[in-house]
Amino acid sequence: MPLLTESKHFIRPDGPDKVTGSGRYVADISLTGMLTAKFLYAGVSHARITRLDISAARQVPGVFAVLTQEDVPERRFGSVADRTLFAKDVVRFEGEVIAAVAAVDAEAAQQGLDAVVFEYEPLPAVTDLEAAIADGAQLVHEGWADYEAADVERDGNIASFTSMIRGDVEAGMAEADHVVSSRYVSDASQPAPIEPRGVLAQWEGDRVTIWSSTQVPFQARDGVCETLDLPTNRVRVIVPHMGGGFGGKCGFHYEAHVAALARAARRPVRLVFSRQEEFIAPDRRREGMIIEITTGLRNDGTLTARRARVLLDNGAYSSDASFFPHMAAMQTLGPYKIDNIHVEASSIYTNRQPSGSVRAPTAPQACWALESHTDELAAAIGMDPVAFRQQNCVDTGETGVAGQVYDEIGLQDCIREAVSAIDYSQELDENEAIGVAVGWWPSFPGPSGAFVKIDSDGKGVITTGAQECGTGSVMTLPILAAVELGMEPEDFELVYQDTSAAPYDEGATGSQTILNNGRATVEAAQQIAVQLKSLAAEKLEASPDDIVLADGKAHVAGSPELAVSIADLAGVAAEGEMLLGKGSGTPPEYPSAVGVDCIGDRGLSGWVGPQFSCHAVKIRLDRETGVVRVLDVSAAHDSGVIINPIGASGQVEGGVLMGIGQALTERTVYSEDGAQENPAFLDYKLQTIADAPPIRVHFVEIFTPGVGPHGSKPIAEAPNVATAAAISNAITKLVGRPVAQLPMTAERVWGLMQGRGGG
Amino acid sequence: MTEPVMLTVNGIDYRVNVDMGRNLLSVLRNELGLTGTKEGCDDSECGACMVLLDGQPVNSCSYLALQAQGRSVTTVEGLTPADGLHPLQRSLLEQGGVQCGFCTPGIIMSARALLDRNPSPSEEEIRIGLSGNLCRCTGYAKILAAVAQTASDG
Ligand code: FES
Ligand code: FES
Repeated sequence: MPLLTESKHFIRPDGPDKVTGSGRYVADISLTGMLTAKFLYAGVSHARITRLDISAARQVPGVFAVLTQEDVPERRFGSVADRTLFAKDVVRFEGEVIAAVAAVDAEAAQQGLDAVVFEYEPLPAVTDLEAAIADGAQLVHEGWADYEAADVERDGNIASFTSMIRGDVEAGMAEADHVVSSRYVSDASQPAPIEPRGVLAQWEGDRVTIWSSTQVPFQARDGVCETLDLPTNRVRVIVPHMGGGFGGKCGFHYEAHVAALARAARRPVRLVFSRQEEFIAPDRRREGMIIEITTGLRNDGTLTARRARVLLDNGAYSSDASFFPHMAAMQTLGPYKIDNIHVEASSIYTNRQPSGSVRAPTAPQACWALESHTDELAAAIGMDPVAFRQQNCVDTGETGVAGQVYDEIGLQDCIREAVSAIDYSQELDENEAIGVAVGWWPSFPGPSGAFVKIDSDGKGVITTGAQECGTGSVMTLPILAAVELGMEPEDFELVYQDTSAAPYDEGATGSQTILNNGRATVEAAQQIAVQLKSLAAEKLEASPDDIVLADGKAHVAGSPELAVSIADLAGVAAEGEMLLGKGSGTPPEYPSAVGVDCIGDRGLSGWVGPQFSCHAVKIRLDRETGVVRVLDVSAAHDSGVIINPIGASGQVEGGVLMGIGQALTERTVYSEDGAQENPAFLDYKLQTIADAPPIRVHFVEIFTPGVGPHGSKPIAEAPNVATAAAISNAITKLVGRPVAQLPMTAERVWGLMQGRGGG
Repeated sequence: MTEPVMLTVNGIDYRVNVDMGRNLLSVLRNELGLTGTKEGCDDSECGACMVLLDGQPVNSCSYLALQAQGRSVTTVEGLTPADGLHPLQRSLLEQGGVQCGFCTPGIIMSARALLDRNPSPSEEEIRIGLSGNLCRCTGYAKILAAVAQTASDG
């Protein structure tokens, strides 16, 4: 049962702004005297800058400011501090910012850019992952060893590395009746939110206000402070409505560039990306990968050992990607019972767009490889792939790959539900097949804060650091506060996405809002509940312990007629000690992983609140063309107790469709030297409503202790894990072998049918 | 070269001086302040900029302001009643068909055009009618349900 079934009809508070067009996104805000910003990009993947002269650009009529790295403090940033705001000496990918111009309009800004003299000497572009780690390879960062990087294992072009070793993999392989090896290659893809990003900055005195379409306003603020040498209380980041992110708008991006331009120009400055810039420039794409997995198994289906090697394309800079090898390692092991493991994963510098967190980073690709491989394992012993998973997947009380023992989990229920909802044993036409895959994803505990107040008329305001990028924080947080206070979600307004108003929160990243800001909001509301109960106790002549808050009233337990409305109590409180609550709470701790030797795992081997899923898809293959169409999907998820059903099912539907795109069409094509060849929706195909199959969503609602409020777990990324894998398994049933390349485009499927490619 | 252009938008006549090459989207947003219509690609690929031109849905990013002269333009602001919401707006909210909302005005305009010419569309017809609008958030299921609900509510 969801926490609040009535919330089905709770209309999202930002909804009316969005459907009427009155809601403002960054590109919709203009300020008096506002200038337009434009960037000069490198346009070359690897080169040494030989000349950069902006003196003529500064003379162009209408141009108010031109900046390069010379004009800002020399600060490196990123999870490996390998990057500066503007290119310095060397450019390492085509979308690197060389110079920024602010001018009266876009035309003048363009003329300013055209007047910048930028000359360079090309360097060989590093684009092949295996070649990049061979002896004597061209280094992407000559000075890599000098970069600051807490706890990141690095070496030359290896930007980050993780190994996970448990048991004795040699002995495990020796016990096996079959040893199956697979190699899978995934292309890079893009988050592609429909809103291209925007940043607007305005200085008043020595304080700057920045409106940014960021998923992580506090990180954006901290990035500005770090790179421009400013204290946090002089930088205010406000996120107006935000048109989707999917990780693409996580991290600190262009806020400092625009703030620096506005300071130099002494005018407000606004940057709005074109679609092409949105493809090319941000350090947030889904990384390409090479995944090699070898598994030993016995005739009875027991998994005896797994060895895996994963190479991830880190791109030119590390952004937030240093934890990706660990995530990829966990994904190639999966939610299975295997005692003997040896996985090594490396994220490798190349001269391509940097990789960064995109919805469930590393998971869709690595899960696709693992789960395609799992069907190969089942086939090797002639076992049905669903039965094989039922036998090998972890269940409550069992030990996972990292030695962690799972309490209350619903993976087996997810398998059962997904398979039954799609009618797995139905009669299928010879061009149709059903594929099944399981997925998992962790929760990310972190600090977070919220304030709640109730004003004199009994209406509430939640002031929260949480961020809304479409995911539904605006619904979940009022529901949580309302439940604590016996009020309705509609009784609460939100003040949010303003770093000067609210306490810190990590933002719309890692699906963490429900877990961390949920905890904070509940704690803040509980403080008010205590106050309300004591006010009511006085009024009703009862003990505070006997007061119940429900239906907008405080009543004495067992005597609902002895009641006073919360509005009345709020009126009393407004005259004296006001109803103010603040919360942050203590984030859950990472559980220990037992018996696993890790290098560079950054403390994430034991997962807090792992979320589980099983996706089953039915497809039809056109054997003439290789075109695969998804006809039906069932997606069963264990995300604990569901707080907001309409929001949660929306996350699953959106995640699954994104997974279908990743499976079949979404692919960034790179030229030999690292340039993107399809930075437009015309050639980078998102799924349309005409492509979208019915998606049956089922939640296995198990009360999960110690994660989110009310037994909940996060949900936003988990749906974007297993879909591509399930589609791969369905295709294999029709063509005999895995496509082994992601996306599984019509061309690749057709090639496989002609006897080319495949795993 | 700027030219005076007469535009009728949401029933109001405007006279604006615009460059010959200026697209309708930018005039609506920057000259008339109607920012409900969004720009997602400037390339006729996403549908976020969908408006109605004499009742027909067009991508305003790929339409010259000059070409709209003498014709009637409707944007999401024009569809919104003075009080409350248009049935399409209401059902999108009730069905949960809005997440980030960036695609929403365009979806509403396409759906409005569809329902005007076909008040009881089949599911397939809804899919075709909205196939020019990209939504990255929802997976479309709840958008489909919202348009169907609006149609069945009449
Ligand atoms: S902005 Fe016009 S179709 Fe995308
Ligand atoms: S709701 Fe975000 S793109 Fe449709």
